[in-house]
Amino acid sequence: MILHRGRRVVAALLLSVVLLTTACTPKTPGRFDQAQKESTQQKSGQAVSKTATQGSEFNKLFPDAGDGYQRVYTQEKKGFAEAKLKKAGKDIALLSISDTTSTPSAVAKFSKSTKKIGGYPAVEVGKTQTAILVGKYQVKALSRDSSFTASDRADWLEKFNLNGLAKLK
Amino acid sequence: MSKSIVDLVDQLPTGGLTISMLKSLDFVAPGEWQNTVGFVNTIKTVTGEDDEDLIQQIGERAVYLFNDKSQGYQTALWLYQTVDGTDKALGAAALANKVGEKIPLLGFLNSVTPKPDKAQTIDLTLKLVAELVAFCQINGIPGDSIGDFVASLGEYSGESLIRMVALVCVDGLIPLGPDFISKAISGLNQTNPQELEKNSTFQNIKDVIPGNNAGSKLNFIGESFDSVKGWMNGLVSANNLTPQKVVHNLQSFADIADDKLDYLAAFLDVATNYYEHTGTQTLARRLIERAVAEI
Repeated sequence: MILHRGRRVVAALLLSVVLLTTACTPKTPGRFDQAQKESTQQKSGQAVSKTATQGSEFNKLFPDAGDGYQRVYTQEKKGFAEAKLKKAGKDIALLSISDTTSTPSAVAKFSKSTKKIGGYPAVEVGKTQTAILVGKYQVKALSRDSSFTASDRADWLEKFNLNGLAKLK
Repeated sequence: MSKSIVDLVDQLPTGGLTISMLKSLDFVAPGEWQNTVGFVNTIKTVTGEDDEDLIQQIGERAVYLFNDKSQGYQTALWLYQTVDGTDKALGAAALANKVGEKIPLLGFLNSVTPKPDKAQTIDLTLKLVAELVAFCQINGIPGDSIGDFVASLGEYSGESLIRMVALVCVDGLIPLGPDFISKAISGLNQTNPQELEKNSTFQNIKDVIPGNNAGSKLNFIGESFDSVKGWMNGLVSANNLTPQKVVHNLQSFADIADDKLDYLAAFLDVATNYYEHTGTQTLARRLIERAVAEI
């Protein structure tokens, strides 16, 4: 009888072990796990530098609407401002200014730059983006419709108040 | 926040009642909302980029931005989850094996109870205020910018627009009727701060509603709703929206008689989480739009 009970205990234990180990099988690490781990070590202040310029400073340096384009501001955060360009009710492109103090790696790509837009080093990124570096600020034009080409992006980058941006601290 | 933004977006459902309901509201905003799910897929859809190295950089920056509490994205998500989160277990459990089928609603009438108009009004107006505050958190404008929010409503598209359409249809028209706007305004006028304090959603989110006490928060809720009524009226009249018309479209997935609209509202309330679902999508989109511009 005692032996019988002992077996049941062993069986129960074994079952628990099986359940525990199957439940705890580690999942394959995801491609963003490392970023998730690093970025949760601090609760705040890790993504945007304390010294970054306020987004409201950037807003006034964006190009004006015109030529059938509408300009709609979408985000204004510390170190970042973004507006979209619309034409006939459709989103055509995004324009942005960001402070690279928070994202030093963003600056590195300009070391390979071979051309200039508005007098500033320019690079094309991926299929949809053109970026220029004005001091510590990155200005980007991002196509959101195939009708908005790389040459449109260069044109719109030149329309920013780049001299004003260069003077920002 | 326990789950990463990557997991939250990866785990968004592709089917079920919430998705069926939002799809059935497509007639109000045709083609506006695609149920984009999956973190990497959302990056590709939002940015138009498919280079894996670029996607990695965008994703990592988005993860950093989300996890930085000072950026407000977590507060916004929490708001979307919280205004949607009450009384969920009941409907979810009952419906677990019904997903994808047409749902005969009568069987559920025993387990759901319609809310009185005043409670429904508070729910509707709190959801709207949550949208306003979340909008301000995501876009980085002060939390009481009613004017900026109202101006931006006209720019709402995609998942943000369908969320507002659902708010008008499911939390306005169905429970409160065709004159839901005036009903909600008079309902709010007859609500005192003590009653508001008793509402569990209000208890949860009151700290982020502008105002020093329940009275001034109630005023803010009233002002917010009042300033959005023009937009809601426009949506209703442009589409000739009536409770019957909305229900007719919902009938593709739920069988319900017109005289049981109170129950339908209660049922949808417990069985769907459209605010959280589309809110997560809005948040992911904004994070990615910022990340791609910053890298």
